[in-house]
Amino acid sequence: MDVLKPQASIQERWSDALAHRFHINRFQLSKLLFVYLSLLPILALFAFLRLVPITSSFQLSFFQSNLINPANKFIGLDNFQELLQDKLFILAIRNTTLFAIAGVLFSILIALGLAVLLAKRSRLGGLYETIYFLPVITPWVAVSVIWKWIYDPSYGLLNYILSWFGIKPIGWLIDPNIALIAVIILAVWKSIGYNMIILLVGIRDIPEVYYEAAQLDGANGWGLFRYITLPLLRPILLFVAIVSTINAYNVFTPVYIMTTGSQGAQGNAVRTLVFDIYENAFRYFKWGYASAEAVSLFLIVLLLTIIQFRLGRSSESV
Amino acid sequence: MLYQMSRNTFLQRFALLILALGLGMVILACAGQPLAPQAPTAPTAQPPAAQATSAPAATSATSSNQPVKLTIWSGYPEMEPWYKEVTDAYTKEHPNVTFEILTFPLRDYEQKLSATIPSDTAADIIEVSSFVAKFVDAGLIPPAPDKIAEWNNAPGRYDAAIVKDLTYNGKQYAVPLFYGSTALYYNKKDFADAGLTKPPETFDELMDDAQKLTQRDASGNITVAGHGFRLFGAGSGVAEKFLFYLWPAGGDIIVPVGDKWKEGYNNDAGRWALKYYIDALYKYKVDDPKLKRDAEGFELGQSATFFRESWVIGDIKKNAPTLDYSTAPVPKGPKRWGHIIAGEDLFVTRTAKNPDVAWDFILFAVQPQYMQDLLRNVGWLPSRHDVDYGPVLKDNPQFAGFVFSDPNYQAYMTPAIPVFDEVETKMAERLIQLYTDASLLDNPDGIAKAVADMAAETNSILDKAGVLAK
Amino acid sequence: MKQAATLARPTSSNVPVLRIGAHLILLFGAIIMVLPFLWIIATSLKPPPEVIAFPPTFIPKEPTFNNFVEVFQRAPFPRFFLNSLIVSTIATVSVVFTSTLAGYVFAKYQFPGRNLLFLLVLATAMVPFETYMIPLYLEMKQVSLINTYPALVAPELIMSFGIFLMRQTIIASLPDELLDAARIDGASEWRIFRQIVIPLMSSAMGALAIFAFLSSWGAFIWPLLITSSRDLWTMELGLGMFQFRFTVDYGPIAAGSLISLLPILLVFLVLRRNIIRGITLTGLKG
Repeated sequence: MDVLKPQASIQERWSDALAHRFHINRFQLSKLLFVYLSLLPILALFAFLRLVPITSSFQLSFFQSNLINPANKFIGLDNFQELLQDKLFILAIRNTTLFAIAGVLFSILIALGLAVLLAKRSRLGGLYETIYFLPVITPWVAVSVIWKWIYDPSYGLLNYILSWFGIKPIGWLIDPNIALIAVIILAVWKSIGYNMIILLVGIRDIPEVYYEAAQLDGANGWGLFRYITLPLLRPILLFVAIVSTINAYNVFTPVYIMTTGSQGAQGNAVRTLVFDIYENAFRYFKWGYASAEAVSLFLIVLLLTIIQFRLGRSSESV
Repeated sequence: MLYQMSRNTFLQRFALLILALGLGMVILACAGQPLAPQAPTAPTAQPPAAQATSAPAATSATSSNQPVKLTIWSGYPEMEPWYKEVTDAYTKEHPNVTFEILTFPLRDYEQKLSATIPSDTAADIIEVSSFVAKFVDAGLIPPAPDKIAEWNNAPGRYDAAIVKDLTYNGKQYAVPLFYGSTALYYNKKDFADAGLTKPPETFDELMDDAQKLTQRDASGNITVAGHGFRLFGAGSGVAEKFLFYLWPAGGDIIVPVGDKWKEGYNNDAGRWALKYYIDALYKYKVDDPKLKRDAEGFELGQSATFFRESWVIGDIKKNAPTLDYSTAPVPKGPKRWGHIIAGEDLFVTRTAKNPDVAWDFILFAVQPQYMQDLLRNVGWLPSRHDVDYGPVLKDNPQFAGFVFSDPNYQAYMTPAIPVFDEVETKMAERLIQLYTDASLLDNPDGIAKAVADMAAETNSILDKAGVLAK
Repeated sequence: MKQAATLARPTSSNVPVLRIGAHLILLFGAIIMVLPFLWIIATSLKPPPEVIAFPPTFIPKEPTFNNFVEVFQRAPFPRFFLNSLIVSTIATVSVVFTSTLAGYVFAKYQFPGRNLLFLLVLATAMVPFETYMIPLYLEMKQVSLINTYPALVAPELIMSFGIFLMRQTIIASLPDELLDAARIDGASEWRIFRQIVIPLMSSAMGALAIFAFLSSWGAFIWPLLITSSRDLWTMELGLGMFQFRFTVDYGPIAAGSLISLLPILLVFLVLRRNIIRGITLTGLKG
């Protein structure tokens, strides 16, 4: 049972006794204690700061409430029924899903490419790292001004560049069919740096020895990437995919920024779930309805996350 | 342990810079700011009893020696300097009263009110519009003392519509502070170039003038819009601006029927207003979606005329000080003549520990000299009409369109019912689509159907909220 | 060792054409990345009429420091800066510590309900904050923490994605054998965590620190909700004072944003070198 040192200390003998009580060994006991003692305070914080308020807000989905008046009417699943028939809600799901698929895909691909290119440490590489991270820390007020200019139909940078290739000016924010693409490009632009840094951490953590060994076996650049980097990057890639998906489904600021003001895009063309929730909650004060919508959003994202975990399962030590 | 500190000189210098900046901030923070005027702190020693001021109402709290702290919240950050001016003046006269002013961007402010008023953690004085209706409905805001109603009701002091806006169940709840109103901004140089001597007086004239004012380049693209319409943007703005054309035609977004409501534009007025837009865009071509609109467009010279509130005047002074422009009253429509107004009023919440001091301050703040300063420095229109704004107007003649008065020039407001926002927003979404539909040109049936469909949605929203008149 | 390092990573450095192409794309991309940042710098020095010029200009014709003066005159920005610094530092330390500890536990320990618990933690990140911020505010009122520093920093003390990130990096790069070997040598769990896990994870912890700092520095709606006195305001709230009803006072906001950006940039530059380190597993394999 125990790989004991010759003389067990008092501590160790007490642990043995306690562990024996639960039919586990001393090592397992110390592990369990560590787990509970570390997790308890953290979970307590989660409970207070997240679980309790979230539950409280989800509860509201079964009521008709304007948040202000304490007289709430319990209406069971009515809010959810109404949601299923709400054209705007369906539109929001469609837009958000399109946004998530395109946004996550492009953001990860580009960030991965960048991470691979910049993995080798160099002065120039370091500069590029910083520059590509800048959008992540640039405040939205600057982002909004510049991107509204980039997308401007008459004087915008994008149409100007496209005109070099003979492409006619596109109403990026005005054309409802294109507006969503415009927001996707913006969101991808802002998030590349974030994903790039995480993938850089992942790539640089891969020990040299693996590459050296593979090269001795004759592997070249692409082979190294496919058979060493990618597999070892799997847990990180899973992280990036899941987090990007969750963030994509929760997108709000770029949509809000591009639609406010008189030069903004049309609301419905880029209506996303959180935008719809915000409108129902804070413009119309239909809090029960908005909560039901939030519950639906949560369920969709939860489902997607679980699916992604299963797909990435083979590399998990779970 | 496993790594050593690197020695990159650039990084060192940059870090030193930040350190210096941070240290500077810390020192400044701890030492208080020499640059900004300090609000005087309430002295703990007994100050001399404050004399009654020229403030119209005398109160007992101001002559007491108890230190009083009043908190004020506003959703208009541009008002902050004005609040500072007025509170500083009040503290000078009543040294035992100090203030804390917080201003927030409007949308976030409304979220804050939604959390703080029901939980009794709001400020003592809040500046807010009829957004407050839902809180009053829930009994969370106390009505104002009778003397306030007396003050508000003085003849010629405030617009009847504004006072009605802060009256719930026969009781008044606030003192009006400022309001937004609409006028026609017009570029005088463009007018002169087009041979026009005066701003249009009817909507038909506006359309004619717009055609003369529209400028095009060699390839026929519009470079200056004769009239800048509000064509897109999220929220209810598009519908709100549509109302500027709808109301003079005799229509309304919703009309009261007893204590319920129903749509008010599935009629000639609604069809006329939509036709106005369609004709402007596709028949006479006086505006182009690709141009900039709103204040920005006007300041950049991309539109010759447009409708907006008075804050643009201050904006133009800052961003386009050489622009040669003025304002005119909203033109006469086929049926009515008037302008929309939306009021911001000062309320006292139920958690205020010294409500009498709060109301005293509010009445102090609406004295003539501060109303003039509001107009002069902030640009929103002070609600008080019984003040001589002559000196301000002399220096800023562009306010002409806003201070215009005529017995036949009416002021109208949008209803303060909770569901109105939803009605307007959904209408805005539809309108944005309709404006892009060129097939509506010279298509009275198409227009009639579009308006009817939109009105049906308005009614269904009212129905769902239980306020539809059947 | 160094030479092997340059060759070992799968880069395009071996194929010249690809290399030039890559550089061109990188360069072009870099310009797009940097534009808004350049605009902020330029606008902070522009007088008002230039600010709304369209298309936006990147070199002020008449540069002025007025915007910075106005920022300091409008409100006690040094105080805001200090508050942001305090809150963000506490938040960052807390997030890095709790995420590493919890991530490690979720990655390397088996116990009943582990997966469910982890999913629960992750699930809390799937709900938009604005949905539950008012119930959270009411909670704070119940424990009498309205308008206090603890309440200001509370929501930023933990980060689901932080725990997730550490879990994944630990799974990817921390071998079980290492931990077991330490246990056999008689090290306690806590000592293992302190002396093995933390040093090896320093790279990921650095990245996490950047994100935690960024997230807490940029928090807006919660500080807005929870504070009722200017003493507790953060930089973001202060900048909101330049956002008028229908317009934005771009000059001062750009100036204030620039000041606000600097600590974040510094944190990034300092911690980025940490990320370069990576793991050195000398003596661990073979």
